[in-house]
Amino acid sequence: MNGKILAGIETEYGLYLEGRGAEDQVDDSMALVRKYPGECFVHWDYRYESPRADLRGFKLERLAFDPADAKFDEGRIRGKDHEIRSDRILPNGARFYNDHGHPEYSTPECWSLDELTLHDCAGQIVVLRAAEAFAEASGREVRVYKNNTDFHGASYGTHENYLVPRRLGFENLFKAVLPMLVARQVLTGAGKVGSEAGPKCRYQLSQRADFFAEPVNTETLYRRPIFNTRDEPHADPRDWIRLHVISGDANMIPRCTARKVGLVKLALLLAVNGTAPSWRIADPVRTFQSISRDQTGEYRIELEGRSWTTAREILESYFAASEATLDLDDDSRWVVHNSRLLLDALDHDPAFARAQVDWAAKRGMLEHFMQEESLDWDDPSLPAFDLEYHNVDPEQSLYGALQEMGTVEGNPPERELVPRINEVFEPTRAVARGAAVANFGDFLKAASWSSLTFEIEGKYVELELRPDAEYPQQLREIRDVGTFIETIKERLA
Amino acid sequence: MSDGDRLTRPLTPEPGRKTDESGPARPDVRKPDGGNELLRRMKKVDPDQAKRYRQRSGE
Repeated sequence: MNGKILAGIETEYGLYLEGRGAEDQVDDSMALVRKYPGECFVHWDYRYESPRADLRGFKLERLAFDPADAKFDEGRIRGKDHEIRSDRILPNGARFYNDHGHPEYSTPECWSLDELTLHDCAGQIVVLRAAEAFAEASGREVRVYKNNTDFHGASYGTHENYLVPRRLGFENLFKAVLPMLVARQVLTGAGKVGSEAGPKCRYQLSQRADFFAEPVNTETLYRRPIFNTRDEPHADPRDWIRLHVISGDANMIPRCTARKVGLVKLALLLAVNGTAPSWRIADPVRTFQSISRDQTGEYRIELEGRSWTTAREILESYFAASEATLDLDDDSRWVVHNSRLLLDALDHDPAFARAQVDWAAKRGMLEHFMQEESLDWDDPSLPAFDLEYHNVDPEQSLYGALQEMGTVEGNPPERELVPRINEVFEPTRAVARGAAVANFGDFLKAASWSSLTFEIEGKYVELELRPDAEYPQQLREIRDVGTFIETIKERLA
Repeated sequence: MSDGDRLTRPLTPEPGRKTDESGPARPDVRKPDGGNELLRRMKKVDPDQAKRYRQRSGE
């Protein structure tokens, strides 16, 4: 692995249309995606998808779904699955589509935290451009939110994906990653007003904590787990596992996104090295929820065997093990250093904490407004401000106001984001996927994360995209489809 | 919560820094600096926006 882990982020966006409801959301999300005005290719290849396969070695008969959603679909006749999904593959190798009524942007695969963060931010521009085109066509106000809850019990995900060697296996992954997933919300939570399940609270760290029912399973729509075991590697399954993390929040602050991914990468690198710290949390689901609701800053965690620790000590154990046993690259060194600074700032430097992590920025914003307007935490308008923090339109977003004021570490400038809508700058397989979309749309018949299928002179040619190969920028300069295919095959040989 | 022993280190021994035994205090997240643009936008927010906002469950 050379100390590097390929990663990506999928964000399901919340969608609000004036005069429309959740029963219309699938139709509206389809229409929004189809209005994306930029260059794209529309045929996604579903052949290699396996959402019911489990890392523990079995396959579910069916996935559970939220019974409330079934009512929305009564009497609705829609097209085939691929028509509903309305996939758009962009020249940067990203996938933009309708997922269960949410416009979803899946970034191209990235090696570095910087590139992944830039592509996550570029995705917001893609979604906003589609929303603006859809608003113009429909004549309705359209708002898109990068968050994970509707405050009425419906949640939608921001998933992280990490490609790791198959030899690691489920047990090693679970033991190394679960404590990190429980503890990292202190450094990465997006913050939420109130609760939608479990003990009542006024404010909590995590948008997702209320929605976990089990420590580990394959589900994603209902009875969600902290550790998801979906086994869908999007690469040769003999060699690779794609760890599918569903317990994280959608972050507005880019540094928070980078920290969120970087912390899991640390846990995975330690797992590969055989030096991950071992913690046995007594009740991971209840603990995830109690940390999210902690108002003391202690973040206490009950362990098996009547002992206890704190989220801070769990996090520090990963940092110490990383420094002691890994040859850290720049990303990992930054994650350790920045995380320690933030843990310290939660006690001693509130301005730094507000700049770095969404839950603190949002809470500071709410407390400021409550003070100005003589409101308290019971005021029923507070969820509206929480929601508008996540508005993707920088002109309307409350996060955008905090960025304008310099209170949060804001988004990178547009000159860094806009080029990434149509290009990818790291030599990942996204270069090949994006080049095929940009240059060979007449020949390309289908694309997925792991393959491209062309039709040339009446014959289908399938090209595997191995995730660990290097795909240089020169691939984008090739204008002959046969040369393009042969060049990639030679590199993979 | 149990009254058992507090563990400040993982079960697998590994070299690390000393941990702070004093325990953290409640994070101080007082009002952000400035405030004009933020307040201007917050006053424009429809206080019922979240009440109307209903979504399907996603993943």
